[in-house]
Amino acid sequence: MTLFDLVIRSMRKNLKHYYLYFFALIFSVVLYFVFATLQYDSAVIEQASSSMKMDSAFKVAGILVLFIAGIFVIYANSIFLRRRSSEIGLYQLIGLTKGAVARLLFIENTLLGAGALVIGIGVGMLLSRVFLLILMKLVGFNDIVELSFSMGAVLQTALVFVVIIALTSIQMVFKVYRNTLLSLFNADKQGEQPKKPKSGLSAILALLGIGLIVFGYWLSAHMLNELLFFNMLGVLFSTILGTYLLFRVTISWVFYQVRKSKQGHLGLSNSLSLASLMHRLKGNANSLTIITVLSAMTLAMLAGSYSLYYSTEKETRYMIPFDFAFEEGVATSLSDNEISAVDFEVELEENGIDYTTGTIELLGVEGTHEKGIFPAIFDMREEIFNAYFVNAKQLQKAGLEVETPKDGSVIFHNASMMAMAKDIKIPFKMYITSGETESVFTAVKYGEGDVVNAVWGSQLVVSDADFEKYKRTMKPEKIVEMTPESIVRNVRVFNIADKDQLAIASTIRNSNQDTESSYGTDYYLTYVKSMQVNGLLIFIAGFLGLVFLISTGSILYFKQMTEAEQEKQSYTTLRQLGFTVKDIMRGIIRKQAFVFGLPLLIGLLHSVFAIKAASFLFMSDITVPASIAMGIYALIYLVFAFLTVGYYRKTVKAAL
Amino acid sequence: MNETHTIKKTVLHAQNIRKSYGSRSNVQQVLKGIELRVNEGEFVGIMGSSGAGKTTLLNVLATIDRTTEGSILIGNSDISKMKDRELSAFRREKLGFIFQDYNLLDTLTVKENILLPVSLGKMNKKEAEAEFRAIADILGIKDLAHKYPHEISGGQKQRTSAARALINRPSMVFADEPTGALDSKSASSLLGTLEDVNKKRDVTIMMVTHDPLASSYCSRVVFLKDGTIYSELYRGDKTRQAFFQEILKVQGVLGGDSIDTI
Repeated sequence: MTLFDLVIRSMRKNLKHYYLYFFALIFSVVLYFVFATLQYDSAVIEQASSSMKMDSAFKVAGILVLFIAGIFVIYANSIFLRRRSSEIGLYQLIGLTKGAVARLLFIENTLLGAGALVIGIGVGMLLSRVFLLILMKLVGFNDIVELSFSMGAVLQTALVFVVIIALTSIQMVFKVYRNTLLSLFNADKQGEQPKKPKSGLSAILALLGIGLIVFGYWLSAHMLNELLFFNMLGVLFSTILGTYLLFRVTISWVFYQVRKSKQGHLGLSNSLSLASLMHRLKGNANSLTIITVLSAMTLAMLAGSYSLYYSTEKETRYMIPFDFAFEEGVATSLSDNEISAVDFEVELEENGIDYTTGTIELLGVEGTHEKGIFPAIFDMREEIFNAYFVNAKQLQKAGLEVETPKDGSVIFHNASMMAMAKDIKIPFKMYITSGETESVFTAVKYGEGDVVNAVWGSQLVVSDADFEKYKRTMKPEKIVEMTPESIVRNVRVFNIADKDQLAIASTIRNSNQDTESSYGTDYYLTYVKSMQVNGLLIFIAGFLGLVFLISTGSILYFKQMTEAEQEKQSYTTLRQLGFTVKDIMRGIIRKQAFVFGLPLLIGLLHSVFAIKAASFLFMSDITVPASIAMGIYALIYLVFAFLTVGYYRKTVKAAL
Repeated sequence: MNETHTIKKTVLHAQNIRKSYGSRSNVQQVLKGIELRVNEGEFVGIMGSSGAGKTTLLNVLATIDRTTEGSILIGNSDISKMKDRELSAFRREKLGFIFQDYNLLDTLTVKENILLPVSLGKMNKKEAEAEFRAIADILGIKDLAHKYPHEISGGQKQRTSAARALINRPSMVFADEPTGALDSKSASSLLGTLEDVNKKRDVTIMMVTHDPLASSYCSRVVFLKDGTIYSELYRGDKTRQAFFQEILKVQGVLGGDSIDTI
């Protein structure tokens, strides 16, 4: 029998062991290939919308995918090798040299790798089409894109995986050469014995772990000041260290105390969960910490990018309340592609597009307001503030639904401060000093978004009477903080009646749909461009999230599979002692709830605080989209928990 | 024992037990119609050469395996008619087991291992604690309560296993080669303890062994050959030495293992 025959025989015999590693390999190939294809094919997309730079985004994401996939394969290989330890030992025991065993494993690995590459690329070709369709849908591109077969992607994938196979082969050779026969035979029996924790130190460290996490959370809510960068580092450091201590010390300390309190009357469920977990906690602390921290990051990334995507329309509307706006008078000159407000109106008429229009006057004001109104980050506003007075009547006439404030009251609008809206104390007094005499207004409400397109600064909506009065008495020379030409502005705005005609109207205004100048004033154009950016972002985040989710889920699953096999004898004993499968499963489910549930729960909690801390980036409330993203993540993650429980059930059933 | 009309009632009654393995074309009959009656308080040894069906018989009687034919009564229950779920409950409540490889859970301490069988039972914590103390005392493992299996010797492990078998006051204890992995000193010490428990607590024990010395501690030894009962020996008032010689004689006639023991 040649070595090759031996390889084939052992592979056929060991299918059960191989499928785990083989699956990991195929999975990684598929994902990498899909990404490589999209990267090579992004030219197709770029032709369609020249402003999008997808290539570089895909390149960066591709490296991340490669990184995750590489670690995943190497990890799966190490589990796979541990399961086969005694087989490797046996070959040596019956007289094969180390070199021969290493060669045997190398041939196996090459065969597996080649197989995975072929299957993976095949599956990847089918899937990349699906992913391309999803991407097109997300960025709002409706034409059908033909995905060509990309030789470049195949070669790149093949090259990358040859490297990964080489790495795993080295891993295998190390396993053969660096281990004694004895350690190979005992590899399956490894496991620590729970030690009594040093009571004083453990208790302190245990509490420190929780304390660090809580401190990190607290800091994340209070980091918006000059030291933002250091605060962010502090948050990361204290939550990650806290998480590690939690898994390494706190939990074993709590477990130890619980167990001690039972005084030996542990019961079946605890024997299968608590005791079994304590048995391996030291070894699991690192991987649980990594999984928790990475879960938290993935969750925050997913929730953040999904929130961006989800609220694109809303946020664009906040910044661009009117469909179109033209600055009249002094303002910026038109670019080549654009037409003026007058021409635009004519063209709208010609094309039979119904619209409302009006001119909004913006009057600069300067003044002060009550102290302590705004959150700390806006401290600088406490001295003197500038804003625009806007006439409610003009807004209503132009087609924007706003309420008319009473005389002497203003409704405060500022889209960029919306995240802090709930922290602003309403009502507050404003003292306008840029009129003939100082006048007092009361801000009665914080209004949603801006009321005029592309205005920097706050807008104060006032009644017609107040507006006209201020217009008559204002003294522009008293306003020192604004450039003279921006003190009085006239903005011509249009609202299209039928929103389905927005696209046509937008091309009328700007035939190329690409200039920078109408970006902030044309609602439709801005929306489409934001959708493309955010769509790409959620696609990449989602893809990476999926890669990561499946990798971590599988790693936990593989680990539990190994544990289930190591504990098989215990299940046999328990069944012989008269415990039913159901009794035993109750304890196992409890254990899985811990193994899968705790990283997920803590990861979720971390990400909730991360998202909260980042919520100032959003104008709208992101509770809904963030919850949806987290919910989907948790659901997919739990599938692995169910698979694991299923595997245990099979093992326990077969144990007697 | 409020029954007055019988001195010793029957704990186990097996009738015409048959067990075969394999598919239809290749049936191998391991047990070929065994009749066995065990009375309360007996310490029965099952002997026979390898392949005689000792362990199969034990498994079948202990409800771990099912018979192909025949009925088994333990107490008043016919276990051959029970469903799997009922069998599990029956094992947990009525039977105790001692295995050759101890089969202790590595993750549990000695005490936790011993208390495992009562965890789903009716015994409350106080009773269980009292029972644990009593048994640990008899078996001499009181000081080991908080040690893990890897920290104690084989003999101590087997005592732990025995304590686990006794904790729920079983009607019957089944022991499968309990001394198989022990050195002779630990083995005789364990057997002495089992004999003690059998007498003092009136526990019925059935033990499979191929070691004549081990079976000399029993009150009765049943010899199996090719799936049938070949003969039986009662110890009666004989000394252990004399009983041992008798067992050796039967074993000599039976062949097989006898060579090892001389």
